[in-house]
Amino acid sequence: MSAPAPGPALLTLEHVTKRFGGLTAVRGVSLEVRTGDLVGIIGPNGAGKTTLFNVIAGYYRPDEGRVTFDGRDVTALPAHAISRLGLTRTFQLVKPFGNLSVRDNVMIGALTRRASVREARADAERVIEICGLGPHAGARARALPLALRKRLEVARALATRPRLLLLDEVMAGLTPTELAAMIDLVRRLHAEGLTLIVIEHIMAAIMRLSQRVVMLHHGEKIAEGTPREIASDRRVIDAYLGEEFVLAEA
Amino acid sequence: MASALARHWGALLIFGAAALIPVLVRDAYFLDSLVLILLWGALSAAWNVAGGYAGQVSIGHAAFFGIGAYSAALLGARFQQSPWLGMLIGVALSLVAGAAIGYLSNRLKGPYFALSTIAFSQVLLIVASRWRGFTSGSEGIPVPFRPGFATLGLGHVAWVYLALAVAVLYWAIQLWLEHSRFGYRLAGVREDEDAAQALGIPARRLKVIAVTASAALTSVCGTLWAQYVGFVDPFYVFSVDLSVRFALNAIIGGMGTALGPFLGSILITSLETYLRASLSGVKSGFTGIYLIVYGVVLILVVRFVPEGLAGLASRLRARWVRANA
Repeated sequence: MSAPAPGPALLTLEHVTKRFGGLTAVRGVSLEVRTGDLVGIIGPNGAGKTTLFNVIAGYYRPDEGRVTFDGRDVTALPAHAISRLGLTRTFQLVKPFGNLSVRDNVMIGALTRRASVREARADAERVIEICGLGPHAGARARALPLALRKRLEVARALATRPRLLLLDEVMAGLTPTELAAMIDLVRRLHAEGLTLIVIEHIMAAIMRLSQRVVMLHHGEKIAEGTPREIASDRRVIDAYLGEEFVLAEA
Repeated sequence: MASALARHWGALLIFGAAALIPVLVRDAYFLDSLVLILLWGALSAAWNVAGGYAGQVSIGHAAFFGIGAYSAALLGARFQQSPWLGMLIGVALSLVAGAAIGYLSNRLKGPYFALSTIAFSQVLLIVASRWRGFTSGSEGIPVPFRPGFATLGLGHVAWVYLALAVAVLYWAIQLWLEHSRFGYRLAGVREDEDAAQALGIPARRLKVIAVTASAALTSVCGTLWAQYVGFVDPFYVFSVDLSVRFALNAIIGGMGTALGPFLGSILITSLETYLRASLSGVKSGFTGIYLIVYGVVLILVVRFVPEGLAGLASRLRARWVRANA
């Protein structure tokens, strides 16, 4: 990969724990993401991946631990303030502004950095092209098929000009062609210098994309390493991948 | 310029006609209907700022209407002050009440928010109808008529133009909400609050601002209505009927559209005026029949044109443009 070499720490999690009543969804997770990283997060359903995103992005306040973004403690900041700092996320269950056009959806994201609607509209057009949504710019968001709604989710987040982007299963439910296009998009964004954390179930995608993979299980980080290290990690195979995957990869 | 005229042909038609009518018609009954159509339209536009543009559907906006009506009426009747001063005080009180209700919208969603707004207007009804020493309680208070613009003692023609000015102003405010940075971001909050926050939009603050502004705009019309009609009855100005009316005009006309509230008001107000006049003589048992017609119109609109009359108009226009292309 021709991605730039990782720089200084951009996001740091220190012993982050989030409980819901008696259930501990995330338990003592520490993680460092450096500028230019592309980190994959894997784990079975209910492992706490999305909860971790919600904590990082300010949707949940963690019960313990600290989240630092770009040298600043953001643990107690609301989601919109964190987004303004340059850390934004997409949603696993896509949340388009359904009654608005694709163009307006993306423009609302661009308005976060722009004082005028005209400038934001120009920004939006560029992002729409990058994401391959050009032919659908005038369509109502709710009328789009899933693959395009996933792409809209990414486009809208990109329009806020983030430095760190959290992608929550933007590849789930896509056909092979759509999947290839999405992988290509994520690669291009990364090559242009964007730092990304990607939650994904599609192992082939995450293995090809990520420089580093983190495995969550029952809310705990049980492994972290290069895709190759992770694929051969005994705990990961037992908890998630299964023997078939190892055989198939071999 | 030409494209702006073409885009707003509906508003031009309606407001232009309203401006011309007093020149051509001197019938007091007709002008009275026109003032009411414009005022009810402006009130629905005020409701639309919260209900249509911010997605905070209130069924308690009569509270702010009543605050505006009572502020001016009490100030005039008890302290002989100008209703304009009363209007300002009403706006100040409504800003406070609106901010409180807006804050509530961050705790209560959808139907729970709507119910809490009803409760709020009912509390004000109880205060107004029981605080006899100050408000004259359930008897209501007559608003003193003193001729002149400063005291809002105006003739029918002047009232038409005053109501028209307010209507156009409120229409313009809604239009601004459709094209401004604030308006676009508010639309994002209405469509999906979580997604809006992910894009850096302070969703809660925007909702509070929208509901507060909506309350103040409603209050202004409450004052005007009280001065126009000349009597404030607590059971009317704080009634759920009235709150529902604000919402219904906007829903029938087209929620979240600038012209919708006025289209809804034209249909409903004239229908009501007509039915009341033509059925009142028939039998005393029929006096409430306009309510049934009201309900039927609502059902038809929700079933066949859920986007409202404004949506229907733009749909027909698109078809016409296509046919002539």
